[in-house]
Amino acid sequence: MLKEMLHSASNRMIKAYLEDVHAHDLAAEFIGLDPSEREKIYRVISNQKLAELVSYLEAEEAAEILAEFDLEKQKTLVEMMEPDDAADIIQELEEDEQESLIAILGDTADVVQLISYDEDETGSAMTNLVVVLHPEMDVKQATKKVIKEAPDVETINTLFVTDAAHRFLGVVQLKDLLKAKTPCKIEELIQQHPFVYDTDLITQSLEAIRNYNIYEMPVCNEDNQLIGMITMDDALDIYQEEAQEDFERLAGLPETIEGPALKTALHRLPWLISLLALSIPIAIVTSLFEEVLVAVAILIVFQPLILGSAGNVATQTLAVTLKMMATNEKGLIKNSYREIITGMINGFVIGAIAFGMTYVFATLNTSLAMTTHPLTISFVVGFSLWMTVLISPIFAILIPIIIRVLRFDPAVASGPFITTVIDVAALFIYFGLATLLLGGL
Amino acid sequence: MKRRINFKSSDDHLKKVLNNVLPYDLAVFYPTLNDEKQKRLVNLIDVKKLTDMFPELYQADQLNVLNDLSKTRKKEFYKWLQTDDLKEFIEELNHDQQEAIIAELPAVKAKTIRLLLAYDEDLAASIMTTDFMTISKYETIKEATNKIVTQSRNQDYIDTIFVVDDDQKLIGVVDLKQLIIARGGENLEDIMMDPDHAVYEDEPIEKAIQTVRDYDRNVIPVLDHNDYVIGIVTADDIFDEIIESSEFDYQKMALLQDHVSDSTALKRSSQRLPWLMIAVVLNLLIASFLSMFEATLAEVTAIVLFQPLILGMAGNIGTQALAVTILGLHLEEIDNKQMPKKHVLKEMTVGFINSLALGMSSFVVVYVFLNLIPTGQQSAFDMGMVVFFAVFASMFISAIMGVLIPLTLDRLDIDPSTASGPIITTINDLVALLIYFGIATLTFML
Repeated sequence: MLKEMLHSASNRMIKAYLEDVHAHDLAAEFIGLDPSEREKIYRVISNQKLAELVSYLEAEEAAEILAEFDLEKQKTLVEMMEPDDAADIIQELEEDEQESLIAILGDTADVVQLISYDEDETGSAMTNLVVVLHPEMDVKQATKKVIKEAPDVETINTLFVTDAAHRFLGVVQLKDLLKAKTPCKIEELIQQHPFVYDTDLITQSLEAIRNYNIYEMPVCNEDNQLIGMITMDDALDIYQEEAQEDFERLAGLPETIEGPALKTALHRLPWLISLLALSIPIAIVTSLFEEVLVAVAILIVFQPLILGSAGNVATQTLAVTLKMMATNEKGLIKNSYREIITGMINGFVIGAIAFGMTYVFATLNTSLAMTTHPLTISFVVGFSLWMTVLISPIFAILIPIIIRVLRFDPAVASGPFITTVIDVAALFIYFGLATLLLGGL
Repeated sequence: MKRRINFKSSDDHLKKVLNNVLPYDLAVFYPTLNDEKQKRLVNLIDVKKLTDMFPELYQADQLNVLNDLSKTRKKEFYKWLQTDDLKEFIEELNHDQQEAIIAELPAVKAKTIRLLLAYDEDLAASIMTTDFMTISKYETIKEATNKIVTQSRNQDYIDTIFVVDDDQKLIGVVDLKQLIIARGGENLEDIMMDPDHAVYEDEPIEKAIQTVRDYDRNVIPVLDHNDYVIGIVTADDIFDEIIESSEFDYQKMALLQDHVSDSTALKRSSQRLPWLMIAVVLNLLIASFLSMFEATLAEVTAIVLFQPLILGMAGNIGTQALAVTILGLHLEEIDNKQMPKKHVLKEMTVGFINSLALGMSSFVVVYVFLNLIPTGQQSAFDMGMVVFFAVFASMFISAIMGVLIPLTLDRLDIDPSTASGPIITTINDLVALLIYFGIATLTFML
């Protein structure tokens, strides 16, 4: 739509369209344009709209676009963006470009302060444009201040109250301020309100926003001074990103990238190769038991059952444990205890099923070599299955905890690593038991 | 929030203390109290606070609260409780309980609730609330502001106001912020925005989620086909929906169902056992089927060494393709109405390249391994070739399944995350092993 317009319509019409369209829709069309078409847009678009457009692009892409402009224009655009969006984009700039932009913005600029936060800290997602009132203000004076500052801030539905030292005291709802009749001081309208700290994990702050149903969550520093807020729309976006990351990790996917097939393939390849490497120890362990495997080859067909079940159970426990760690939920120990009991119960039930089914199958199918010892083989399969399912949750809990103590991100390293450790343990149990009971045959 | 609350103090004092606690914290605190204290709490706190605390409670506690409320307070409570919260509570009750509660409501509210309950739970209209304000386009900015300040009910959402024409049709939306900063001479029509970002009553929740997320709105109107505003959906409800659906996906992927942190071990067992049992039974069926290769297995011992490798690689690449497809479907990047050819083609190409790459790497692994640790009578080269073909074929098939199965399920209106269940995994295992053992039999036994 925009593409055709750029080739046929007059500049005036393009300009009118650009001012009218929502930046999200504009951004969606913009990415499909070639450089000369983009050039046409730059010529007519207002700085304000351009700033909005850039904020709605993916940060990486936005940084590329931003870098095309001269420093003075970059500064203008950045100052028109919401500080949290601008911070995301600046972080994607090349290092030297980043430095020169920060230099011209100045150390005290809102954006520059946001950049200093780690990506998973609450401070990195906040905007520091808020309307602040003081308790001793009269409602009339306060209303004036709100009206004056409103155009610069995202929302004025919640107004924050601080004391002279900027310490956060509570909030005043705009509704209450409008209803109040002077003389009335702000302190009479003030409501107690939850807040989060700038260094809190962003996931914790999202949890608080959700629980307390808050559209504007105040953010304080360690001295309880109000330094910004997180808005609901940002919370939604961040949650979505975090959830996607969790999901991708569980699936063993590196971060999703958009791109041609070959690039995507190469992007996923290292992960697959490292998983291939992990299957080598499994092969080594198996080779230790060559003797019993030659004697009772049928054991091999039950191996996927045992490894598969162990893997399933481990994935379940791991997902629960990682989730708890990510949200810093309490009760990790109680949870672990319950997971282990769960493994015991489930292991026993499916172990019993496996024993029964194997026995029936072995006695019915007389053509197999295993029919000479159906009971022993069924027992080996069933009992190993129980033991494996019992130990899987223990590994799935211990390994992420150890990885965390060693200060790696548990979510990254756990999945494939845990599966390998459990596979090795499962093979020792299965083939070990088989050697013990059937080895002399 | 760990705070001791002394229930021995006088009603007046306790009231003061309780009114300083946030609603969500009260909701966490409530179940820890005994009956008598619960009753005191419910009747002492501000009714407004109670309406915020109520939606956060478990159903049994909610029913308790209603039982404990005095008649006058109950009336006030129903008046102030947000309509969507009330509907959500009533929805979960059995038929008799529903009727009993609806009978207690004021007539208008009862009618609204019945209307909301009639919407299918997949529709945006099912999570809407009816507590919002409209103003006529003829009102001046001052009149409009006055009306909002004086006439809004406590539970009304007023951060955004909906502007309607003579026929009550929606013609624009005004954020309260715009209204406050508007200059004297301006009209409502000058400052209002086009009402583009709305959903119709028969559109799905996903549409509402997408609209709120893409356009950064805190609220969107729900319209009927005459463009009457019949309700609003707020961003906090959208947040809950997003959390629910992504947790659902995550749990499906991890073979969990309805997991909550505080469920007991027995509960967890009973939730997870069905899937595990299905997986075990399927695996045993596969095992019995594969026993026809017993002779090959006894002859070619080295087969067993690389069986986990093949199953693992096929499983991993399948999971990757599956996850990308499910995420794409849920983020609506893949439009399943037209055949998502581009996505399928791309994933197939990716699958092909990586299967080939991993097949070749596996050959190297097997060849080196068997030279270092000789196992069985077969040559390392032959075994390497068998593994190469098995890895390549099983990975490629698994990758294709990972894309096609969720897409097909989605078209059949089955939730695509079902594909991460054990049935598909087991089918993949069966295919992989058939290929592996089959190629081995052809190579070494014929």
